[in-house]
Amino acid sequence: MKRLATALTAILVLAFLVSPAFAGKIEDIKKRGTLIAGVKDSQPPFGYVDEKTNQIVGFEIDIMKFLADKLGVKLDVKAVTSSTRIPMLTQGEVDIVAATMTHKKDREGQIDFSITYFMTGQRLLVKKGGPIKSVKDLASKKIGSVKGSTSEQNAKKAEPTATIVSFETYPEAFLALKQGKVEAVTTDEAILVGLKFSDEKPEAWDIVGDYISPEPYGFGLVENDSKLRDFVNVSLMEMWESGEYKKVYDKWFGKDTKNYIPLTWTMELWP
Amino acid sequence: MHWDVVWNNFDYFLWGAYPKGPLGGLAMSILMALGGIFGAFWLGLLIGVCRLSKRVWLRAPAMVYIEIIRGTPLLMVIFWFYFLAPVIMGKSLPDWQSAIIALIVFTSAYIAEIVRAGVLSLPKGQMEAARGSGLSHAQTMIHIILPQALFNMIPSFVNQFVSLTKDTSLAYIIGVSELTKTATQVNSRTMKAPFEIFITVAALYFVVCFVLTELSRRLETKINRYQARGR
Repeated sequence: MKRLATALTAILVLAFLVSPAFAGKIEDIKKRGTLIAGVKDSQPPFGYVDEKTNQIVGFEIDIMKFLADKLGVKLDVKAVTSSTRIPMLTQGEVDIVAATMTHKKDREGQIDFSITYFMTGQRLLVKKGGPIKSVKDLASKKIGSVKGSTSEQNAKKAEPTATIVSFETYPEAFLALKQGKVEAVTTDEAILVGLKFSDEKPEAWDIVGDYISPEPYGFGLVENDSKLRDFVNVSLMEMWESGEYKKVYDKWFGKDTKNYIPLTWTMELWP
Repeated sequence: MHWDVVWNNFDYFLWGAYPKGPLGGLAMSILMALGGIFGAFWLGLLIGVCRLSKRVWLRAPAMVYIEIIRGTPLLMVIFWFYFLAPVIMGKSLPDWQSAIIALIVFTSAYIAEIVRAGVLSLPKGQMEAARGSGLSHAQTMIHIILPQALFNMIPSFVNQFVSLTKDTSLAYIIGVSELTKTATQVNSRTMKAPFEIFITVAALYFVVCFVLTELSRRLETKINRYQARGR
């Protein structure tokens, strides 16, 4: 019995000591033949389940496809949420996170980021013609946001007397706004536009206020894998320069879509 | 009302993107529930019997296991196991398998307590008579005590299994595309029919749980009749 106990302890200790041997992610991905990307599945138009095919599609998925094609591998998407995306990346469940994630200094301690692939800023979605015109009008009122997001923390900073009600996804927060449970929903403008136009009567809602904070989105990558990071960054620049980025952008945010946001920023391009 | 949203996505609620993609929706929920019930029953039985043992090295670990698991929210167990599994096994498990194991771990603690209560509720004379007639402790457990006790436990088991079936909805936290997750996905895309979508989901859960309780009721009558004949 003692021997069994010793063996069991040894196995447990070993299990905790043995961490996956570190090789470059790019080699791993090529060997596996698939790029595993953590994406949103409830965030039109960045990542959501398509009505006809029941597959996850969206702006971020198209960029991931571009990366996978360049590597010559297949793309495999895994649904993540704002609270699971960083642990899933650090645990190696996904190779890259493309899930509307703001590049923040705070997060640099845990993961690395690509260059900015989408630029937006945090604003407020409110009922049209209502009393709320800026974040100051929300003093001691309720604001809806999402758990683990930057918007949650920024809103608290911008208006300390407001109560932040956190939901699992943005559509849930919007639903709370419709039902009058919160006075405003705050997050990146790009997401707010998506929410607004997903409603039957988009004209009933307004996006107001100055940018509470700029929100540059970056792809999340594991720490200290510069080969993968270089590959992603260079690919993004190539995509921008070849016009492929604009094509993908227009597919999801162009004039003919219901999520129209003019392309007003320029990607950081290294000479 | 927008019941057309529910109607158009009903296949997605039932089996997800299958066969063109991974299985999901209600089919995934049922799969997880069945896997969970099967695993939790046997593991719970084992732990319950260990908990009753006179040997400290069997009883103490079982007790610690039961107490720790019962004092932890299921959501935590699911989340925690998902990130612990790759550390223990050296490779990551598919999210649904990880969820099933978490459900088994969680529910088996409750099953173990049901087993313990069921065995203790039998008159002491059963054990004494069997031991007196020369059976070993293990033989007595397997042939005399458990068959009687397990029958008495059926209602408690069913209770636990029904709650396990509903608990599969918590697997959405780690991204398993089960019924609740598919509903959330469709709801986020359409935005106009949250009431219709979630009432449909509730109805689907109800149907599955009702079928489960109904089946167990039939099983009980059947065993009752069988036992009456034996007497």
